[in-house]
Amino acid sequence: MTLAIRTRNLTRRFSGRFGICDLDLNVPAGTIYGFLGPNGAGKTTTIRLLLDLLRPERGEIALFGQPLNRDMRQTLGLVGALVESPSLYQHLSGRENLEVTRRLIDAPRTRIDQVLDRVGLADAAGRRVRDYSLGMRQRLAIALAMLGAPRLLILDEPSNGLDPAGILDMRRLLCSLVCDDGITVFISSHLLAEIEQIASFVGVVQAGQLRFEGRLDDLRARAKPKLGLRCDSPARAVDLLRAAGEEIVTADPNTLSIALSRRRPEEINRMLVSHGVGVSHLAVENVSLESLFFDLTDATAVEDAA
Amino acid sequence: MSPLLRALSAESLKLRHTLALRMCLIAPAVVVALFVAQMSLLSHSSRPPTDSAKAWLGLSENILTLWSLVMLPLFVTLQSALLASIEHSDRHWKHLLALPVARRVHYLAKLLVLIGMVVTASALLALFICIGGALLMLVQPAIGLAGAPPLAYLAEKSACMLAASLLMVALQNWIAIRWNSFTVAVSFGMTATVIGMMVVQSKALGPWYPWSMPTMAISFDGAFASIAVAVALIGGVVATAIGLIDFERHEFS
Repeated sequence: MTLAIRTRNLTRRFSGRFGICDLDLNVPAGTIYGFLGPNGAGKTTTIRLLLDLLRPERGEIALFGQPLNRDMRQTLGLVGALVESPSLYQHLSGRENLEVTRRLIDAPRTRIDQVLDRVGLADAAGRRVRDYSLGMRQRLAIALAMLGAPRLLILDEPSNGLDPAGILDMRRLLCSLVCDDGITVFISSHLLAEIEQIASFVGVVQAGQLRFEGRLDDLRARAKPKLGLRCDSPARAVDLLRAAGEEIVTADPNTLSIALSRRRPEEINRMLVSHGVGVSHLAVENVSLESLFFDLTDATAVEDAA
Repeated sequence: MSPLLRALSAESLKLRHTLALRMCLIAPAVVVALFVAQMSLLSHSSRPPTDSAKAWLGLSENILTLWSLVMLPLFVTLQSALLASIEHSDRHWKHLLALPVARRVHYLAKLLVLIGMVVTASALLALFICIGGALLMLVQPAIGLAGAPPLAYLAEKSACMLAASLLMVALQNWIAIRWNSFTVAVSFGMTATVIGMMVVQSKALGPWYPWSMPTMAISFDGAFASIAVAVALIGGVVATAIGLIDFERHEFS
């Protein structure tokens, strides 16, 4: 599998803030990768490192196999980016804003109309940016990021400040970029619900460390409901359930927690009772993806792990 | 096209509709207009007409001194701050520095645009001196201005003044880019200009202080002028090199 972004031991710390520590990212090419984490977890620091805006203390970055560092900046030609808020020249028109960057990166003139069409700003291109709405500015910033025909788009919280219609437009645009153009999109957000709708891979970062990386489906699989169970013979129940192929999540002297995937609760109850285990309590505990996300990004959990 | 030329072309586009571009015309025009107005309003009836060549040189020297000592340092201060603020506002550096363009290109393009503005304003100043002199011939004949303006003198002094301003330009460019604050750049430049007005009175210190070098470079004492120009050229290159190294390392928020 080709990796659009590969980092190893990527570290950059700040006094008084988390920064990031030993981050090993693996972003598969041609996918939308959601980079999740609460505010201050290190998402923007990571993105700034991926764009050579910050220099790492240690670690390596490779984009599509090409190393990126201060001496190898041409690798950035593979990337288009929107970091935090859009950076636009307010006194210039939308088209002139694109022309400034086009001249810098020596992109073909025809590219300006292509990206304007793509983000739906062709009609407003002649207006000064100071008259643009927030949604239009965001779209122009995406057009700027796409100007150099990048293979990888890095977007830092691109839905910030957008209304629901704007968020929907953004989502459609990103999905079409991946499906039609084969671009890889690396998108950061602190909102799981937003990422859940578009991403196929996710990385969850908390306090500068990667807590989970993989397919969104794998994260969902972790979120399957559990069955809480109390019985008179927990040790025997664990043996029986394991033998029957059930996954025991936790087993303390009083309560067993079983991942519900193979059998329904009543079947588990019947099986235990038929083997002489007295069940006194049986309750389904639904685990939402959101609560799993909160578990992953719980600061106290990180401290405990440390 | 080389990356630097492409960056200069991008800079020229950014300057559209900006005060910075209009200031290249306004600053020299204000200095000449003020001087011409002052000469027109003063009473010269009791003074005999002087030699026309001396009158032209006197007019040129007075305006060039006023320009080099006050308006040029303030012009460089304001222009460098305006050029840098185009990037500081909306935090443009994070967009520019994430492009596959060498960092030094952005810095050098800003410096060259600033130098270009100083050259343009100086050329316009020389032109306005000629026009102002012609106007004074009509409204104040008692001054004794007559004949063609001293073009060779104006060209030579303007060139010396420009060369002697390069250290000041390089320092002000670095400060304006380095600190994300219009106030810091302007306060620094204004303070340095006021100090320059005092330092220029000292022949020992004048040729060595960046903000008084342009005035020293047009003084009639050739030795001081040569020192000022040489120090400004060498210092300008050194200050640019230091600014570039710092810019390469600096992390813009």
